[in-house]
Amino acid sequence: MLGEQLLGNLIQGLVLGCVYGAATMGLSLIFGVLRVVNVGHGAFIMVGAFTALLLFNVFGINPILAVPVALLIGLGLGFAVYYLVMQRLVQAPELASLLATFGVGLLLEETVKQVFGSEFRGYYWSVGQLDLGVTVLPMTKLYACVGSVLVAVLLYIWHRKTRAGRALRSVVEDAEGARVCGVNVNWVYAMSFAIGIGLTVLGGVLLTMFIPVGINPYMGGVYTLKAFVIAVLGGLASPYGAFFGGLVFGIIENGSYTLLATIEGVEPFALTRALSFIMLLVILLIRPTGLFKTK
Amino acid sequence: MSPSRTRLVRYYALLPVLGAYLVLFLIGNGQPDMWQLVAMLAFYCALGQAFNLFLGMTGYVDFGYVAFAGVGTYGMAISISHLSAVEGIGGWAIVIGLLLGTTMATLLSLAVGAVALRLRGAYFAIATIGVNEGLRYFVEGARIWNGSDGIIFSRDLRLIFGREAATALSTFWADVLVLLIAALAGVVTLLFMRSKIGYALTALRADEDAAKVMGVNVTKYKIMAFITSAVFAGLLGATAWALKLTYVYPPDVFEIHYTVEAIVIVMLGGVGTLLGPLVGGLVYGLSKYWLAVTLPGFQLLIFAPLLLVIVVLFPEGLVGVLKKKIGNRPLGKFIV
Amino acid sequence: MVEPLLRAENLTKRFGGLVAVKDVSFTIAEGDLFAVVGPNGAGKTTLFNLINGVLLPDEGRIFFNGKDITRLPVYRRAPLGIGRTFQIPRPFGVASVRENVAIGALFGRAAEKVSVVEALAIADEYIDRVGLQAHGDKPSIALTPVERKLMEIARALAMKPRLLLLDEAMAGMNPKDIDELVNFLKRIKDEGVAIIALVEHIMRAVAGLAERVMVMHQGSVLTDTTTEAALTHPKVVEVYLGKAPG
Repeated sequence: MLGEQLLGNLIQGLVLGCVYGAATMGLSLIFGVLRVVNVGHGAFIMVGAFTALLLFNVFGINPILAVPVALLIGLGLGFAVYYLVMQRLVQAPELASLLATFGVGLLLEETVKQVFGSEFRGYYWSVGQLDLGVTVLPMTKLYACVGSVLVAVLLYIWHRKTRAGRALRSVVEDAEGARVCGVNVNWVYAMSFAIGIGLTVLGGVLLTMFIPVGINPYMGGVYTLKAFVIAVLGGLASPYGAFFGGLVFGIIENGSYTLLATIEGVEPFALTRALSFIMLLVILLIRPTGLFKTK
Repeated sequence: MSPSRTRLVRYYALLPVLGAYLVLFLIGNGQPDMWQLVAMLAFYCALGQAFNLFLGMTGYVDFGYVAFAGVGTYGMAISISHLSAVEGIGGWAIVIGLLLGTTMATLLSLAVGAVALRLRGAYFAIATIGVNEGLRYFVEGARIWNGSDGIIFSRDLRLIFGREAATALSTFWADVLVLLIAALAGVVTLLFMRSKIGYALTALRADEDAAKVMGVNVTKYKIMAFITSAVFAGLLGATAWALKLTYVYPPDVFEIHYTVEAIVIVMLGGVGTLLGPLVGGLVYGLSKYWLAVTLPGFQLLIFAPLLLVIVVLFPEGLVGVLKKKIGNRPLGKFIV
Repeated sequence: MVEPLLRAENLTKRFGGLVAVKDVSFTIAEGDLFAVVGPNGAGKTTLFNLINGVLLPDEGRIFFNGKDITRLPVYRRAPLGIGRTFQIPRPFGVASVRENVAIGALFGRAAEKVSVVEALAIADEYIDRVGLQAHGDKPSIALTPVERKLMEIARALAMKPRLLLLDEAMAGMNPKDIDELVNFLKRIKDEGVAIIALVEHIMRAVAGLAERVMVMHQGSVLTDTTTEAALTHPKVVEVYLGKAPG
């Protein structure tokens, strides 16, 4: 039945979208606060993927527990990168921070490659599945989806209710004014960057719960592009927009793959990858500020 | 009346550039076993000069730059593979290949530019980051130009030129063309610097909004630099890739790796300068060659932190630092 | 009636809930020396941004030489003859002073006809006129704040403007420099360039600068008249000089 098939497709897309969204929130957070585009975004996702991979294959720790570990790793990396590199580029032209995040991503990829080699790896974690009638959902994907939503909610609470979150919002609103009011703007930048990276690395773990194969040092590139599409869809400066952008993207990507698979003479996988880019161009052409009205 | 040092950039600033390429050629020509190295250095210098035309003059990073070289490669490949059936086509196949490659690069740059160049810095980078990948997967996915099978035209090349000449073309003349492209890119860079275009680009690179207030049509000039840079990339792909390898596969020619190298070369040498890409190309090429021998597989691991160091500590690159040190001496006139 | 050089009609600009410019109208004739006076936040710079095209008005229209330029793109206004300096100078970074001023000449009113070599010569001329001859080759970021202001003026003049928008040109200058600048501006005016100067305090305008003054307060015009009359206008007195005695 076509209706059932569509519904099943939609659910799969939504579930995928949650994870995509969670993995992109860090990108939007960093841009929203520091006005820096983290061009090395994908490399941090890769770090998260490797974290999950190693914890599972070497220590038998399941990916759910890898999430907090990934967050800590990400926070550490984020602070390190900020204080060593990004801090000095606050006044520099945009080009500098673009190249810097690019360089950091490159460095991560090469380091991982040297240490772990460039083969493709994966892990196999099976915990059954959920039969929804219209479609079948592996439990791992469900966990990833729930985890993603949880992360988004926690971020929201932190952003709105804590003092640190308020300091962040004041800096976004008016950095100079915040400084005058006694907010340590540099600390806010460092913290935002670190949390953004933390979210990204964590997102990598969640993504592997979805796709536990193909993990290699250079896997990040694909996700950088997708993250940009999602972030722009959601309005580049808003983490919540990114989450919803992820949902939209997930549905479209999943749906287009299924659709393209029915067309003769094209290769659905490759064409779906090209689709990300086409979507980006279209959005930038007609609505660069994103689909949603964020304040 | 004090003599001005910032009058129009003089043509003699080209001397070290053209001289270097000539020297490279003479070395390689005189020592045949050095030709491989010379060819590689020529490639990196040309890549740098071409990329610098846009990055250096506008301050915008096009992360998808390699796509222009990719379509240039296809242009040559398509030309040769289709024209081999034409009797006595000879050298025209190359000419048409170059024309086709540059036309395709121009069209692609217009398409990308139409969307991306209306956007500011960060958004522009985002828009371009998927160009090469998107194009690669589009070619493979929609199976155009033979899709993921690519085009192999070594046989066609031999058909057109005969075995001996075809080999000479792939192993010698293609590289000579690359040297010429590098030199030409240098000349164009200087011409830009001397002209209204160069001044407009300087203004928009420094402060885009103030430039607009001063009457600079920033979009127009960005497009000009973008297309010029893309055309040179197309020429490079058509010669250094198509003619040398005589085959083209999507994953090879749309590989972001080359954009990375271009960025490192230009930043290392000195972004926005005339000599920078040349110096950067030589240093990078030689280092890579040496590293490949001594520490294979480590190249990018070394260049990545190097890029970071340059961006954070020495954004003006080698030539920039050199300019500061000896810019006031007589020899400084040649360092542009 | 001769068409005025610049005519602004009912200009209004809002930013969210804030009305930065409210129903402002005025005219400028060729060779006028006109001051817009108002404290920070009165809407002066916003008004300039509207004339320049950096911002588009929500309501109202602007005519330059009879032509409706309300929605004309920014870069098309310079060739018409509208030049501008910024409150905080915006030099073109690494470029030398001469190159900066030459850019003004290259894209201003003579844009189609002037060559780079000619532009550089024009640049030299104006650099001399503002007294920066010794600094022609310096990178513009190496200039002191006052020198940057002078360079901005030279750059704007190299455009051969018919209307010069001066944004707080005198801020940060000592009285002697201000006097020199005022005399300089008067000479410019005599050459047929109309000048609109933004000043924060009405006393500056009084110091021999402007014949006509428009006093703004929170986006609206308090008065638009001769300098002397403005000084005694009751509303102006209230806003600037404290409540009138008695």
